[in-house]
Amino acid sequence: MKFQLTDEQRALQEAVRDYLGDRFGQKQVRELYESPESDGIPEGLWKAIGEQGWLAVMVPEEHDGIGLGLLDAAVIARAFGAGTVPGPWLGTVLVGEAVRLAGSPDQQAKWLPRIASGQVKGAVALLKPGTQDQPVATVSGGSLSGDLGLVEYAAQADVLVVSAADGLYLVDPAAAAITPHEVLDRTTRLASVTLDGAAGEKLTAGNPLAELVDRAAVLVANDLTGIARKALSDTVEYDKTRVQFGKPVGSFQAIKHDLADIHLAVTMAEHAGFYAAHAQDIDAPDKTLAASIAKAKAGDTASAATSAMIQYHGGIGYTWEHDAHFYLKRAKRLEYAFGDATQHRERIASIAL
Amino acid sequence: MDLTFSKEDEDFRSEFRSWLDTNLPAQMRTVDWWRPKSEAEQFQIRRDWEAKKAAAGFCGIQWPTEYGGRGGSPTMKAIYDEEMAKAHAPRTVNPLGLAFLGPTVMAIGTDDQKRDIIKPLLHTETIWCQGFSEPGAGSDLAALQMKAEPQGDSYVLNGQKIWTTNAMHGDKIFTLARTSSPDGGKRHAGISMLLVDMRQPGVEARPLKQMTGESEFGEVFFTDALCPQTEVLGGEGNGWMTAMLLLSFERGSSAIGQYTEFKGQWDAVVDVAKQVDRGSGKAVEDPVLRQKLANSLIELECLKYHSWHVLTQTSQGKDLGFEASMTKIMWSETFRKVSDTYEAVLGTGYQVPDPQPGLSLEELTTMSLWSRSCTIWGGSQQVQRSIVAERVLGLPR
Ligand SMILES: Cc1cc2nc3c(=O)[nH]c(=O)nc-3n(C[C@H](O)[C@H](O)[C@H](O)COP(=O)(O)OP(=O)(O)OC[C@H]3O[C@@H](n4cnc5c(N)ncnc54)[C@H](O)[C@@H]3O)c2cc1C
Repeated sequence: MKFQLTDEQRALQEAVRDYLGDRFGQKQVRELYESPESDGIPEGLWKAIGEQGWLAVMVPEEHDGIGLGLLDAAVIARAFGAGTVPGPWLGTVLVGEAVRLAGSPDQQAKWLPRIASGQVKGAVALLKPGTQDQPVATVSGGSLSGDLGLVEYAAQADVLVVSAADGLYLVDPAAAAITPHEVLDRTTRLASVTLDGAAGEKLTAGNPLAELVDRAAVLVANDLTGIARKALSDTVEYDKTRVQFGKPVGSFQAIKHDLADIHLAVTMAEHAGFYAAHAQDIDAPDKTLAASIAKAKAGDTASAATSAMIQYHGGIGYTWEHDAHFYLKRAKRLEYAFGDATQHRERIASIAL
Repeated sequence: MDLTFSKEDEDFRSEFRSWLDTNLPAQMRTVDWWRPKSEAEQFQIRRDWEAKKAAAGFCGIQWPTEYGGRGGSPTMKAIYDEEMAKAHAPRTVNPLGLAFLGPTVMAIGTDDQKRDIIKPLLHTETIWCQGFSEPGAGSDLAALQMKAEPQGDSYVLNGQKIWTTNAMHGDKIFTLARTSSPDGGKRHAGISMLLVDMRQPGVEARPLKQMTGESEFGEVFFTDALCPQTEVLGGEGNGWMTAMLLLSFERGSSAIGQYTEFKGQWDAVVDVAKQVDRGSGKAVEDPVLRQKLANSLIELECLKYHSWHVLTQTSQGKDLGFEASMTKIMWSETFRKVSDTYEAVLGTGYQVPDPQPGLSLEELTTMSLWSRSCTIWGGSQQVQRSIVAERVLGLPR
């Protein structure tokens, strides 16, 4: 019985943290916040993500990947959440997973090495907006149509994975109508995407939509726990030193007890996020349940932790100059990605009742 | 990650499970069999059964063999807890002795104390009570008033303890008393932990009726009660330190037993929800109740993951320290959430034991009431939160 990361996984976690600590900290995130017109993909960062193998984790070794599991990817996702890291890491990893799970040998050979290196940036449109399991596009005569909703990094991607009733398709973004938006969370880019008879290349070895969505939900859950943990620890540090009424505000029991509860919730969300990733890796009987548990718990917890961060900083926490809003805005985005807590609880009910 | 158990651990599980299969009669796993019996009768049956289990070698799983334990690992203890809960086995009659007194005696007791206390405790020959709380000293334990004055070879005890679990069944009580008056403002000084015989004229136990209607706890009055001066644990005047050490022994507990028990209750609640009519359909079809049922399952599963985490740490010989407060908050809050959900499923039907033909709710209703106490005893939720905030997060006092 070892419910903990391996030494290698811990080293990976440290490597990501160290890189972010040295090279891509809140200063760089802030630069991004000040340049909403940019493509949202800081060049040096994206290059490093490719070089470090953080896109290659789940790509099989025969396709120039590292051949590790979702838990390893979850370790990266968590560190990225804590660092509010921008860029199409998630979309690209998920395109890789789609091709790994459902691509023919030729499709895998064509796409996976370039995904592993970061040469190709990916985006996914998997769920009909507001649903948890409905595909986004309809197919007729081999071409795809539909309103795909808001898609992360669609305007910057080299390839889109789009779901339809009969499977997953690779779509060239040039074939889609893409309208970028100004985004609240500036650590990402969002665009409305519609397809109107666009050509698509079907991934021919099965339709793993449900599995892919669960994997996406697990990665997002881990990003959210990273956000939540960072929001909590920054708040604790601030409240240790901010003095009012002659004492650090962190000595007031109303704050202490709330932060203790949040610490407990974050700890549980961390457990759930890692277990869910491991459950997918070992194909555990409860892997679907575990994915929903992780996503629901992480969404609620990140929401609570990022709200508390602003509240327990007082006025400074409400300013543009303070980092607190980076966490809140990212948490709000991811809370609703790949099913929100209410939807996942309903799914838990339908599995377990 | 590796969530499997070793062959040795699994062998232990099968051995214990098959012992339970043979030695825990099916009727003892049902409420209906227990219900008509008086509390005294129930206690005696549990006591005898536990003695039989101990005689078969299933006691003190993690305790050294030299004290009559099994010499097992933390994992074996967790498996034992899990199997006990799965089998619906009777709760131990010596919860406080096993959780607190035994480990403390093994750590700092004299040789005589080790010999005299541990084995009879494991074999339920002695039922131990914990006499800490007083009417004026609950969360603020150092406010305790009970006096123990030296007289000859003994102390003479005067004072009152309250909320004493098993007060009516206790043979002995480990209790805190003031053996000298507080030295100036130092409230923690002058306290000693005494091991007192409850079967003497100077000790009177009275039952207190709980909101469940049962009387598992009571008051204990000491009127010139006697305690030999050799019966001090940890040395005279060191009672506060001894008490802190004693309370720290709860820390290793993984909560896998609690998870198993509460998950069983959650399953029973789901069963009820499938039967209960709520106007537009069964409770289990109601979207809001589904959210509540799912939410309590989320907390339960998180409790399970957390138990694995604790077990991983303790198996590697790590002390969880103050993180143990998180385990206590987590299991007791989860238990309350399951209870909240149960009450919401029934609505007004919660008020009666048989709101619909086919439903018999006594056991679940008692559990839902009992859950209210678990966030109070053993350090209230508020006290635990302060510990987590100050000792784990490092917030200033
Ligand atoms: C079922 C049951 C069994 C028990 N068994 C035993 C036993 O065997 N032996 C024994 O010695 N005791 C036993 N107890 C007593 C238990 O330990 C006490 O009830 C507990 O320590 C709380 O003390 P109190 O009841 O005096 O509440 P109080 O301390 O008066 O607390 C009242 C409220 O104030 C809150 N509070 C207190 N201090 C603070 C603070 N500093 N900050 C914020 N909030 C605070 C508490 O959380 C609580 O909500 C048992 C209790 C129960 C319910």
